[in-house]
Amino acid sequence: MTTTTAPEARPAERRTAPAAPTPVRRRRRRRGDALGRTGPSKYLAHAGVWLYVLLLAAPLYYLVISAFKRNTDIFNQPFSPFTPLTFDNFGLAFSQASLGTAMLNSVYVTLGAELVTLLLAIPASYALARSKGAVGRMVERVFALGFLIPGFAALVPTVLLSISLGLFHTREFLILFLPASALPLTVILLTQAMRAVPAELEESALLDGAGPLRVLWSVYVPLSVPTLTVVAILNFLSFWNEYFFSLVIIGPDAALRTAQVALPTLSIANAAQYGVLAAGIIITLVPAYLVYTVFADKMESAVLAGALKG
Amino acid sequence: MTTLTTPHRPSPDSPDRAGSPAPRRRRSPRVREAAQLSATLPALIWFLVFTVGPLVSLFYFSTVNWRGLIAPRTPAGLGNFERLFTDPVVGLAAWNTLLQLVVSLPIVVLGAFMLAYYLSLKPRGHRIMRALMFTPVLLSASALAMVFVGVFAPKGMINGFLDVVGLDELARPWLADGTSALWAIIIVTIWCSLSVSAIMLAARLNSVDESIFEAAEIDGAGHWRRMWQIAWPICREFIGVVTMLQFLWTLFASAAVVLLLTRGGPGNATVTLSFLVYDFAFNQSKVGYSQAVAVVLFVVGVVGILLIRRAFRQKY
Repeated sequence: MTTTTAPEARPAERRTAPAAPTPVRRRRRRRGDALGRTGPSKYLAHAGVWLYVLLLAAPLYYLVISAFKRNTDIFNQPFSPFTPLTFDNFGLAFSQASLGTAMLNSVYVTLGAELVTLLLAIPASYALARSKGAVGRMVERVFALGFLIPGFAALVPTVLLSISLGLFHTREFLILFLPASALPLTVILLTQAMRAVPAELEESALLDGAGPLRVLWSVYVPLSVPTLTVVAILNFLSFWNEYFFSLVIIGPDAALRTAQVALPTLSIANAAQYGVLAAGIIITLVPAYLVYTVFADKMESAVLAGALKG
Repeated sequence: MTTLTTPHRPSPDSPDRAGSPAPRRRRSPRVREAAQLSATLPALIWFLVFTVGPLVSLFYFSTVNWRGLIAPRTPAGLGNFERLFTDPVVGLAAWNTLLQLVVSLPIVVLGAFMLAYYLSLKPRGHRIMRALMFTPVLLSASALAMVFVGVFAPKGMINGFLDVVGLDELARPWLADGTSALWAIIIVTIWCSLSVSAIMLAARLNSVDESIFEAAEIDGAGHWRRMWQIAWPICREFIGVVTMLQFLWTLFASAAVVLLLTRGGPGNATVTLSFLVYDFAFNQSKVGYSQAVAVVLFVVGVVGILLIRRAFRQKY
């Protein structure tokens, strides 16, 4: 876990990069074809990469065009984008899987879990960042080890826990449970960010008579906003996309299930109709895609931070 | 449980908030540290209750006879584990899991590294490639599986393509065919994780000082040598992290892909260990037995992580 410093370093680095473009970078750009001097093998490299891109894009292309096609056109002209345009699939997806309710449930679970995660992680990180003793280091160790725990192995005991808490078949259990899986990474990243807060700022706040809570709220939290954003994006994606625990704990009840659980029911209901399913996939992807477009520059650091979960 | 959501309350050293900060300073450092760290308690309790607790009880549940979540449990000792080794379905699942790992790990790690190196050179079109490669990051397990329902369906994308190019005798129901179904699952895994890993590795390569590569270029090293003899050793440890992630993802998260694409079928052709944990517990009323599989899976996960960590230890 020694690499945990990486995501923290990156945003800062990127911030300075456009301000002072190095000559090296400029030369790179102008050269255009970066593999310029490699001889004939470069064609192999280009061809290989673009073949991969094609294979990556094909299912996505097929998904998008199918969502806007009538079923007969999907079969007769599977790859043509010029078939009559239809939006019926989206309406059918909403009505057949009650996707509207499911999306609201997902929003409820995701935002609830996000809130609980931050309420737990911010004070913990604050305390860890300020402590210099052995106990603090030990607590940090515990969270670092948490990365290594694959939650899926404990699927059945978790269901049991939800039963014993009287929260089986409720969305609230997910709101309580999901933060636990997100805590280790969130705490580690936030602690690193808060450790970078200059001590002088805190001292002067203390001299002004601010209590610890006030220091946290007016000094530490504002200064950790970049990391808070990264952590929030990361957790948003993993909560929104969570499938297995939602499936077994919330269950198939159409009034409670999340979007990820509702989506596969479309494939059962429409054995040979990919259009409705494709529309459903696109609908459930919209929130994640919105987060991606709004925070595009933060996304890479979020994914990088996610890598540390290994 | 709701009583635990009180981290916003002042930590215990705040009762004397009204006083000046000076007296607080005079307290012994140990007491002060303990008071300060009490703010980590809610998070620790959460972690203990929802992560450590279920994991520990997993080991107990693996030693009981237990037919359903609300059925009574009777002790079975190590009987569940003995059964594991003679159960042909578990054997098949172990073999499929191994095959999945052995095929997908090298392809994903080496392929993603090469893609990342290519991306880090910022060739023409690299922005489009990046945006495209991000889409699998946004896909949930169920959305991923559903995308491929359309790809592999009898009248889906692949068979449609074969029809267009006139190779329709190769068309088959990919997910219902015993030999192709497992490969379909493996392809889905690779399709998704290759780009995710490449994005992460590209971010890591971007942080490498370019002057290193330039020095190598002046010394006459081509891209191939720069990639394997300079970039790879520099990123070695991070590649290890990506490998671990990929390993865990293949081991555990592929359960959702199997469940949604084939339900382990046709027959038992595509069962994997993580799928069996779910299937035994929720569809076959063998809860205790499923937990024995989960223990095996957990141990495999931990051992695998340690091995990968060792293999990718930084060498300079």
